Amino acid sequence: MSTADWIVLIVTLLCVIIYGLYKSRSEKNLDGYFLCERSVPWYIVLLSIMGTQASAVTFLSAPGQAYTDGMRFVQYYFGLPLAMVVLCITFVPVFHKLKIYTAYEFLEKRFDLKTRTLTSFLFLVQRGLSTGISISAPSIILSSLLGWDIFYTNIFMGGLLIIYTVTGGAKAVAYTQQLQLIIIFSGMIIAGYMVVHLLPAHVGFFDALHVGGKAGKLNVITTGFTKKGFNWNDRYNLLSGVIGGFFLALSYFGTDQSQVGRYITAKSENESKLGLLMNGLVKVPMQFLILLVGVLVFAFYQFTNEPVFFNQSQLNVLAKSKYKDSLIVLQKEYNETEAKKIQQVNLLADKQVQKDVPAYIQTQLELKAIEDKKAKYRHTIKRWLDDKDVKGESNDTNYIFLRFVVDYLPKGLVGLLIAVIFLAAWSSIAAALNSLSAATIIDFHKRFSKKELSEKKEYDLSRWYTLLWGIFCIVVAQLAYNIGNSLIEAVNVLGSLFYGVILGIFLVAFYMKKISGNAVFCSAVIIEALVITIHVLNQKGIMNLSFLWLNAVGAIGVIILSALVNPLINNNKKVGNKLPT
Amino acid sequence: MSADEKTPLFKNWNYWYILVIAFLIVLVISFYFFTKHFS
Repeated sequence: MSTADWIVLIVTLLCVIIYGLYKSRSEKNLDGYFLCERSVPWYIVLLSIMGTQASAVTFLSAPGQAYTDGMRFVQYYFGLPLAMVVLCITFVPVFHKLKIYTAYEFLEKRFDLKTRTLTSFLFLVQRGLSTGISISAPSIILSSLLGWDIFYTNIFMGGLLIIYTVTGGAKAVAYTQQLQLIIIFSGMIIAGYMVVHLLPAHVGFFDALHVGGKAGKLNVITTGFTKKGFNWNDRYNLLSGVIGGFFLALSYFGTDQSQVGRYITAKSENESKLGLLMNGLVKVPMQFLILLVGVLVFAFYQFTNEPVFFNQSQLNVLAKSKYKDSLIVLQKEYNETEAKKIQQVNLLADKQVQKDVPAYIQTQLELKAIEDKKAKYRHTIKRWLDDKDVKGESNDTNYIFLRFVVDYLPKGLVGLLIAVIFLAAWSSIAAALNSLSAATIIDFHKRFSKKELSEKKEYDLSRWYTLLWGIFCIVVAQLAYNIGNSLIEAVNVLGSLFYGVILGIFLVAFYMKKISGNAVFCSAVIIEALVITIHVLNQKGIMNLSFLWLNAVGAIGVIILSALVNPLINNNKKVGNKLPT
Repeated sequence: MSADEKTPLFKNWNYWYILVIAFLIVLVISFYFFTKHFS
């Protein structure tokens, strides 16, 4: 990175920290620290829930995903607007009426203490580990791309935000997220503009779309149906997006304290609802645009030299392995193929060739043969990296966008885009730390401590818990380094292991008034074991079910089993408490 | 919700819910034609 990039990066990060500290002034009690005295307007709620959901991986991974697999990933978000509607009808009014600090408090009022404790515990485990991974994932990418030390990158990625999160609690989190999102969106819009600007003079925005479309990258809608029927292992299609995505979004926004803790800070029920519904309106188009940047990067690389593998550090690993001589030969052949590819792509873009149909078809066929050849070279590199003697990382999807940024964007802008990665990470990590602290003090410390605490003592303890969770997550990040790139997917899989069951408990609480705490508790434990078993069977190749469906299995499993078990456990016993009306 | 809190923009929240769902449907249909056009 150049000096200009360092200046932009440091100034941007410092501005956010200072702004966070400036916004830290709040009442020194739990209401101030976790709920901003319930004073937040809807647009801050909107930016806060968007900032919490959009981690660094969103901005690193999504363009790379579009580059390799096309835009069908956007379907993953189709269930989100529906979930926002259900949340506004069911969850938000109850949370506001009960004036809760954590979503799990509601479960004790509806069921019993053990159900609340189990659910809050599942949240702490899942959120604590996945926040650690959220720190590690972008750190690994930045450190291998820019040659930074992973230890210090983890410290900066997960440590600096602790300053304003500990000091200012939910208020600092919400207001810095507002600033962070403005910077993030500006950075992504500039990046998108720059890709189009860097295309050859005769290639415009729509030409780039046609290039992407012809390569199958604009596959926004896919059905998941093949000649053999529906493919249950296909992750991103219309059905899995609407159904699986709905359950995932409902459990994430309705039962994960990192999200619930954002919208219960709103000054009224209306403001919470408006923030959530606006999220339902803007989330899908936003994801579409982020993915579109990936397609534009793909189009850009059709007219210029595309690296055989985007993670240069892994090529360096190969260069020191037993494949070093083969790599030199492969690289030479690949470069020759690339030169031919650029020639053919330029021919396709030539208006004269486009008018000559036989010549156009011939050029297309030759280009297809070149692409097949390139795919073989990439496959060979990946095979070498997967070799047990090399132990490399064969997935370079998350390096594509940042590699483009570092190689082609002007000085200063690289620093801004690196800052975008940091800020995206901070916005979700800060919300997670705040929520972890809230669940720890409200659901465990205060609930089980026999000592009466003063307001000041509770406030101080909350800050200590935030700090401790921050340290815990950085330690997890340092340990997670050994897992490598696959840990990015681990965040999603980890969520799907727990979210479904937690959502099932909440849905029973809201909609099945006759089910008791004992029935839902037993069902949750059994179904959680079932979900983990399915995941293990998937890992071993015995089953073939995409992780997105685990959310639906968990939620529906708890609902059905609770209904079946309830009459057996609760013969003539008092059942659930009444919800507020 | 307090009685004096009015639903913003519309008569009640149901209109908001319909708007969000209708917008999603419009997006999905637009994406379908987008996919078809550029494939």
